[in-house]
Amino acid sequence: MPQAFITPTSQYIRYNTKVARSRATSEPLWIRWLLITIALVFLSLFLFVPLAAVFTEGLRKGFATYISAIVEPDALSAIKLTLIAAAIAVPLNLVFGLAAAWAIAKFEFKGKSILITLIDLPFAVSPVIAGLIYVLIFGLQGWFGEWLSNHDLKVVFAIPGIVLATIFVTFPFIARELIPLMQAQGKEEEEAGLVLGASGWQIFWRITIPNIKWGLLYGVILTNARAMGEFGAVSVVSGHIRGLTNTMPLHVEILYNEYNYAAAFAVASLLAFLALITLVLKSYVEWQTAKNALRNEVHKLIIRRESI
Amino acid sequence: MAKRKNVLPGFSLSLGYTLVYLSLIVLIPLAAAFIKTTELSWHEFWAVVTAPRVVASYKLTFGASLIAALINAVFGLLTAWVLVRYSFPGKKIIDALVDLPFALPTAVAGIALTAVYSANGWIGSIIEPLGIKVAFTPLGVIVALTCIGLPFVVRTVQPVLEDLEAETEEAAASLGANRFQSFTKIILPAIWPALLTGFALAFARAIGEYGSVIFIAGNMPMVSEITPLIIITKLEQYDYAGATAVAVVMLGISFALLLLINALQWWTNHRLTASR
Amino acid sequence: MSIEIRNIQKNFNSFSALNNVSLDVPSGELVALLGPSGCGKTTLLRIIAGLETADNGSIHFHGNDTIHSNVRDRQVGFVFQHYALFRHMTVFENVAFGLRVRPRKTRPSENEIQRRVHELLELVQLDWLADRYPPQLSGGQRQRIALARALAVEPKVLLLDEPFGALDAKVRKDLRRWLRRLHDELHITSVFVTHDQEEALEVADRIVVMNHGKVEQMGSPQEVYDKPASPFVYQFLGNVNLFHSRVNEGKTHIGDIEVEIESFKETQNSPALAYVRPHDIDIQKELNGQKPAFSAIVSYIHSLGPLVRLELQRDDQFEIVEAEMTREKFLQLELSVGSKVYVHPRNVRVFLN
Repeated sequence: MPQAFITPTSQYIRYNTKVARSRATSEPLWIRWLLITIALVFLSLFLFVPLAAVFTEGLRKGFATYISAIVEPDALSAIKLTLIAAAIAVPLNLVFGLAAAWAIAKFEFKGKSILITLIDLPFAVSPVIAGLIYVLIFGLQGWFGEWLSNHDLKVVFAIPGIVLATIFVTFPFIARELIPLMQAQGKEEEEAGLVLGASGWQIFWRITIPNIKWGLLYGVILTNARAMGEFGAVSVVSGHIRGLTNTMPLHVEILYNEYNYAAAFAVASLLAFLALITLVLKSYVEWQTAKNALRNEVHKLIIRRESI
Repeated sequence: MAKRKNVLPGFSLSLGYTLVYLSLIVLIPLAAAFIKTTELSWHEFWAVVTAPRVVASYKLTFGASLIAALINAVFGLLTAWVLVRYSFPGKKIIDALVDLPFALPTAVAGIALTAVYSANGWIGSIIEPLGIKVAFTPLGVIVALTCIGLPFVVRTVQPVLEDLEAETEEAAASLGANRFQSFTKIILPAIWPALLTGFALAFARAIGEYGSVIFIAGNMPMVSEITPLIIITKLEQYDYAGATAVAVVMLGISFALLLLINALQWWTNHRLTASR
Repeated sequence: MSIEIRNIQKNFNSFSALNNVSLDVPSGELVALLGPSGCGKTTLLRIIAGLETADNGSIHFHGNDTIHSNVRDRQVGFVFQHYALFRHMTVFENVAFGLRVRPRKTRPSENEIQRRVHELLELVQLDWLADRYPPQLSGGQRQRIALARALAVEPKVLLLDEPFGALDAKVRKDLRRWLRRLHDELHITSVFVTHDQEEALEVADRIVVMNHGKVEQMGSPQEVYDKPASPFVYQFLGNVNLFHSRVNEGKTHIGDIEVEIESFKETQNSPALAYVRPHDIDIQKELNGQKPAFSAIVSYIHSLGPLVRLELQRDDQFEIVEAEMTREKFLQLELSVGSKVYVHPRNVRVFLN
């Protein structure tokens, strides 16, 4: 979903301006702890307890069952397919994100805000509908259905459909991460590179990319997490063929519907672990950007005291 | 389309690629949905999208989404407040974990919530004897939608709250306002657009949600069946036109929400930049 | 290398940023484009660099039309207002950038790059900062690094956009003297944009005063200061006293004083503006009969620094006249607030209204 999900990293370039709040602008201690408690109970009910449940349920029948649920052939092929889908969707959306951000942030043209809204579209579309539209085009009854079956090609209920659906649902993430970042950075550095004789690609690789690398990484991490975890859209186009067109989330669903809870949660715990790694990486990226900003700020203060 | 005022290279290449990719992946496939519905006459279309079972699913989807977004508005604001204003042990970890619903696959969230809230689950076993049944009821739908919408309000309100200057609250206090008055008259108006944006985002996300809901909802027709599930059901019966008709209704609502969210965000930014 | 600018026209939507601008920058000179903000001076500089394209007109570098050469091939050095240093590169890598991006055939060897960069860093006296990153530098240091970076590509023309605009007063003064000395050493044809008349007058060989997208006057600092071509130039360069008057057959009046102006012999009773710089206001305690004068009362004295500024209230009109004199002269006249004085304006410039 939109912006909040992809809070530009630039927003995190804040310095810790926390000052001891005077009594006039703070609450009594008991209210503070009451509010903290309510917040923690709320988060526990909807986040922490379910997260813990994933791991405990997965390990309920012992470590051996847990491992065997993961190394079982159908699970392994689901893992493989998930990795393939992400490995195709992320780079494609990365190239798109860079192209879109370059056009939007560095140039003025008519219809720019319409373009930005259109890029947001996949956020607003239910994943189920995302799957449906590809069925309408590539399915047997679809526009290209006949042509595809005549040529013995399969998109829907096959890997290409899964990849397409994954691309659709993760479409805007990198672009929306980069656009505000590149807009904030302006285009003076690129112009400086141009005057110094650099070619377009040299400017892009040596000036633009290093300047946006953290935001880019952040976008890639989120896109990857989403790509590997997508359920609704993939569910519509996959056809649920075990060992062939099942991704990890679909495999979890099948195991769960067969009342094989321990195995379902074992595979789910892998995905939950992936989500946690994503959050760690994300925190690291935010920490890096904040640290860079802070370091530069401190240096400036030191330098100001030295002579010019 | 564009008037070139700029000597930086790559404009036609990057814009051209953007438009082609956008059209191939998003615009043309979405158009397919609208074109497909034209196979139905207006009368047939209306009959499909107003069938009692479909209408019941709208009520559930929109009602549960609205309630979940409201819960998130209240508790998300409170969470953002606590994370910005107070310090307590483990705050940084909790702050990072707020984003979990963004990163956690919805199917995993779905089965986890079901396990926790079902009759023999950790929370279900406590509240079920009290007469509160969550799993396999509309209440379960609300729980799932609250979970997946949780980060939106927190993450939109948090930065605004952080940028709020302590001086304005000090000024209010020096003018004789108590804490409650400061909050309702000074702080709340300042964060209002962000709060509204977060609410709208959580609402929009909840409407389209599928993965986390189907496990906990029980999916009983007329009672706990959400609209995206109706689409899937119709697809499984090879009723492509019917599925598409319902999808088009949802798309229309989603687009309207997207426009609303963009307007809200423009409003937020506009207020922020105007005050700087 | 000389620059010839001919009939440049540039519009942004309906706003005319440059309106038929023509001027010459002689080889080896340091030229200031001076004007208020929004007068089009930065746009003109960017067009010379090739960062913007003119709607009309031509720019020749040493007689060669630049219309078909893009920014990369123009061999200009450009110093941006906010320096535009590459944040993620060290000072050394910033300066080396222009050499490193050359095609392999013309790219200097690594040793040569090292030598050249250190030479330039020594030239701008910042060799000791080679390993720092731009955000860790002070404004003045960044400015000099930006200059070193621009010089690294051995430009034929050096263009500077408000080079001292973002610096505080003390640093500005030091840096502009330093820039002047640097230019005297290197003799690269240079154009810089500024809105600060003092800066332009002190540093430039030649000043181009611009307003509303047009060139108001070009000339040496002496010329534009002493012989302003228009009321705008007069007012823009330094303080000025303005007298509303009329011109009739080559004569105008300021109070009781008659001033002859040869160039307006033919003019019949036309409203005019007469300008006099504060240091051209002569003050005497007695009317000695030789110089025509009007009487006034001293209403305010600013006596800080080497020059004393006086505000004089005219007797015949409700108008304040500003005067400047040396401290010596001031003490000689023994003036205090309320003293009655006689005022004689010299070097009156008259423009028909």
